[in-house]
Amino acid sequence: MIKYTLQRILYMFLVFMIITFMSFILIRMLPLPMLPPEDPHNIQVLRRREALGYNEPYLVQFWLFLKNIVTKWDWGLSETRLAYGQDVWQIFVGKLPATMIVNLYSIIWSIPVGVALGVIAALKKNTWVDYFLSTATMVVISVPSFVYAFLVQYIFCFKLHWFPFLMKGGTDYFSWDMFVSVIPPVLSLSFGVIAGFCRTTRAELTEVLTSEFMLLARTKGLTKAQATVRHALRNCFVVIVPGIFGEFIGILGGSLIIEGIFAVPGVGRLTLDAITALDYNIFMLSTCFYTAIGLAASLVVDISYGFIDPRIRMGSKK
Amino acid sequence: MKRTLAFLLALMMVVSVLAGCNPEKEPNETGDNGTEGTNAPGVEDGLPSVKEFDANAKYTYTTSAQTLPSGWNPHTYQTADDAVYFDYTTDSLYTLFFNDEVHPQEGREAFDGYVIVPSMAADYPVDVTESVKKDHPQFNIPESATSGYAWSVKLRDDLKWDDGTPITAQDFVDSLERVLRAELMNYRAADYYSGSYVVANAKNYGLAGFYDYDDNGKGAANDPNGDPAACAVQMSDLVKNEDGQYTYNGNLVFIGTNYSLAWTGGDTLPDLYDVYHDSYGMEMFDKEALDKLMEATDGHGTAVCNDENLELLKKIITYSEDWGETEANIPCYLLIVNHQYDADYSFDNVGLYVSGDNELTFVYPNALDGFYLMTYAMSTSYLVKTDLYDKSLSSSETAAGKVWTSTYGTGMDTSVSYGPYKVSEYQSGKLMHFTKNENWWGWKSDVYTYVDPDTNERYRMYQTTDVDIQSVPEAETRKQMFLSGQLMTYGLQSDDYDQYRSSEYYYTSPAETIFFLLFNGYTSMIEKREAADTFDKTKLDLQVQTLESFRRACAVSIDRDKMAATVSPARTGGYAFIGDTYIYDPETCAFYRDTDQAKMALVDFYSINLADYDNDLDKAVDAITGYDPVTAKAKFEEAYQEALDKGYITDSDNDGKSDQTVTMVYAMSGAVNDFYEKTAKFLNDSLNGAAAGTGFEGKINIDIYSSGDLGNSWSDAIRNGEYDTQLAGWSGAVLDPFSMADTWTDSDRSYWGNWWKAETIDLTIKIDGEDLTMSVRDWALCLNGTMKTVNGKDYNFGYGQTSVENRLTILAEIEKVMLTSYNCVPIMQDGSGFLLSQQVYYIVEDYNPMMGRGGIQYMKYNYSDADWADYVKSQGNTLSY
Repeated sequence: MIKYTLQRILYMFLVFMIITFMSFILIRMLPLPMLPPEDPHNIQVLRRREALGYNEPYLVQFWLFLKNIVTKWDWGLSETRLAYGQDVWQIFVGKLPATMIVNLYSIIWSIPVGVALGVIAALKKNTWVDYFLSTATMVVISVPSFVYAFLVQYIFCFKLHWFPFLMKGGTDYFSWDMFVSVIPPVLSLSFGVIAGFCRTTRAELTEVLTSEFMLLARTKGLTKAQATVRHALRNCFVVIVPGIFGEFIGILGGSLIIEGIFAVPGVGRLTLDAITALDYNIFMLSTCFYTAIGLAASLVVDISYGFIDPRIRMGSKK
Repeated sequence: MKRTLAFLLALMMVVSVLAGCNPEKEPNETGDNGTEGTNAPGVEDGLPSVKEFDANAKYTYTTSAQTLPSGWNPHTYQTADDAVYFDYTTDSLYTLFFNDEVHPQEGREAFDGYVIVPSMAADYPVDVTESVKKDHPQFNIPESATSGYAWSVKLRDDLKWDDGTPITAQDFVDSLERVLRAELMNYRAADYYSGSYVVANAKNYGLAGFYDYDDNGKGAANDPNGDPAACAVQMSDLVKNEDGQYTYNGNLVFIGTNYSLAWTGGDTLPDLYDVYHDSYGMEMFDKEALDKLMEATDGHGTAVCNDENLELLKKIITYSEDWGETEANIPCYLLIVNHQYDADYSFDNVGLYVSGDNELTFVYPNALDGFYLMTYAMSTSYLVKTDLYDKSLSSSETAAGKVWTSTYGTGMDTSVSYGPYKVSEYQSGKLMHFTKNENWWGWKSDVYTYVDPDTNERYRMYQTTDVDIQSVPEAETRKQMFLSGQLMTYGLQSDDYDQYRSSEYYYTSPAETIFFLLFNGYTSMIEKREAADTFDKTKLDLQVQTLESFRRACAVSIDRDKMAATVSPARTGGYAFIGDTYIYDPETCAFYRDTDQAKMALVDFYSINLADYDNDLDKAVDAITGYDPVTAKAKFEEAYQEALDKGYITDSDNDGKSDQTVTMVYAMSGAVNDFYEKTAKFLNDSLNGAAAGTGFEGKINIDIYSSGDLGNSWSDAIRNGEYDTQLAGWSGAVLDPFSMADTWTDSDRSYWGNWWKAETIDLTIKIDGEDLTMSVRDWALCLNGTMKTVNGKDYNFGYGQTSVENRLTILAEIEKVMLTSYNCVPIMQDGSGFLLSQQVYYIVEDYNPMMGRGGIQYMKYNYSDADWADYVKSQGNTLSY
């Protein structure tokens, strides 16, 4: 298992480097913003571009980029209107908590609700409860999260005045005011996740509940609830747990737009803005972050199989 | 009890006597640097005392921004988003106030213009040209000059940073030194050495160690045919030196590679390659040769002009036939060194120095005075707190060496204010909160006061105590927040106008841009397009649009106000080349469109009979709608006959109707959207409606679907005649409408330069009682300061060279020529509409291009924050507008 894990980490690192290299080259290949003709400021812009090495070969630029990260953990400075002159690492780290808090709340709230609804649907299979939940799940999954964002904002913030329109400013991430203010974005992100877990749990549990070992469990004298919780659900988790990590990555992606709607000062908006403004260094840091999270999540998923289901042993050659 | 009362009474009397005995005032209270008995310059005597706002009440201006400033370093900021910070936290030597009883302007009604008032300056500038010329020869003031080149300004002695430390004259000098310092490569450095309001010798210091070049391609770029022979220097003029580098008259020659060349419209070679490669998939240049030439490029963005690099350049520009250049075009890329800036140039030679106790002297390379001197040339936006600035500087290693960066103005700890407000909270990308900067002198001065035109009471400016800016990217969210009383303004979206246009809280702000409907007159290109295999000449026609009669018919077929309301509700109908926001005399805030000359140009163009309006010019102009369906029908019929006669169209079945549909392909700058569809529909409905009963009935089509997304290249497509029309916007400097005549008549910049040459059209204008004839182009150049000789006599009608009346007459005549050329038809004037919160109101309803409606400086509150919260709650948390 350890050997397998180390091997996977090595592969992960290789994939990470390839993605980083490709992203670096591709973003640098995009044309820089055109300069207005006869603008006297052009001379300063061009001098600065030259000094920043934008006209050097890509490999030379990439080498320096890597060197600065490895030797000084220096991700460079922003050179665009986004955050001119500021250390991109500091900017990124400063914005990460807002994104993480919204996503974590969403996951924490969505998983139990989604699984619970899935269990109810499975246990009430082929009843109106199951039909209702299945239909609602399909509808919810089909609609992108930003649509819910507008609906949530309109209904709960504008019409009912239950929540503020925007996420609260400041860094008191665990204050009550902050908690209340993140409910709308968390809700918006959660609908799809809840529906996803509900559907997966229902499908898995329905199958497991009809298995022979469940019959055996009941025959042994376990109640339906005991059999479901102790045996059926545990089997389902082999599928659900990887889904949790998958959803986490999915939510990070989905929150790019949600962050804009609720003014969440997170890395999602920063990434979008970096692409628009062609801010090389912010874009590279964001890309590396998302790549690392994605790769790490897939590794954790693979390893987690072994803990959830002892029958699964990764890397075993026997 | 009696004893207590008696004691209290006695105590009050003693206090009163003591108070009466104290004649001293705080130095700032009079606004005159502590000189009692006189008002500050620009402030009228004998005014009522200032009525103070409730000191305990809080008045917060809550606003939103799609993008919040992420940095506000005055030396490096590049966007208007960043500049928002400066609105609240900076001051200037001189500022503009509405003219009122406190700051009057002779001969004008209160609040219909503005006056220039000293702010950080203690008084108006003093001309010291003679003495500076004598004592400071390094500024090279011309011997003949007697005024306008050097000005001294005494600063107020109560200027402070927000931390309470004083601002001195030396701070201004040190700040200018930093913005110009060559190694810092500050974006804003160019503000002080390029353009009309530069500081003497600033360029020498700002570009120390760099070359100054003559762009050899300028001649070809300005040549109507783009002929490389028009370049000042040809290859045969060059001489190779012993290093192998070519020279001209002993001056080194370089190739502009990463340089903003006139020949390429300001683009660099790598940028051009990238744009064509990435946007159109075209390989315009030999990439390998370009990479090699870029390797040879230095920090100036140039490569040495030697045989090796010339060969690379030749390979690059002759690589693709689409680029269409030959070896003969090489001179267009050359830069001739005309000057090398001294690497050790001393800042002591730059035209800003401390000349006395808290006194600055500004020296300029040109004579300046009045409005432009005080509001532009004496701009001190470069002012920084230098100790903090220096701490914020750092350098980093790059692939090309080292580059300096400053973190000044990127957060609360790297910012400092010297204006009315200071940042009290900032979260990047989220919010900014400003509170009063108690160390700003203006809070205690009579200078920043005005007399309310409604109540006739005198108030202090800036009733606002706090400013709160939040990032709200989505318009729908902004609207809901506004209706919930959480934002002060809401910029209306297209869908909102129907609902809110009649609201009493609805305001419009006109903008400079006029939108024109363009016509294609490039006959050779039209013929070429019609000759294409894919073009069905039996059904379609492109040539009719070149007929003046057809264009005139189109011009009067469009109800402009209705069109604006339909396709772009924030805008209004446009009737002239110059909109009504342009000021021809900034000293007095006089509008061009209000002049008799400008009015007569419109009356003549729209064939208005003055007698029908009691010879009242204003009435006549007000009556202009530009919409005349009767004339339109007659002109369409005339155009139909003309088109038949010229063989542009046919009528094979003799039904009196054209066999062909007159088509104008709209050059789209984006994908088809609601605006384009509405525009095309309105235009087609209008034109076909007016053409009903004529040979063109149902036969006119503005085609938006054939274009595709041309992006920024739409204008080139129009210029080259590849596409026919656009609703194109055009604007100029709001304080200089005269410069627009230059743009209209410049073949390189106008849309119609390939088929309508202002150089070939004569125009006679009566100047000082004499008829004078020149080409329209020459008139435009002459109006903008170029000397022209007619019949052996020199003429220059530039600023300060002739009477304002003459300049207005010339401009109006040129405008009339442009209107009657029918290269395009003015349709709409740009503008924006917004709702203002019930919590506040403007004391001025009319919009002034320089002052707006006074901004938060003049904004008054109906409710304090606490009262507003109660009011909103009482309305069910949703307000009605």
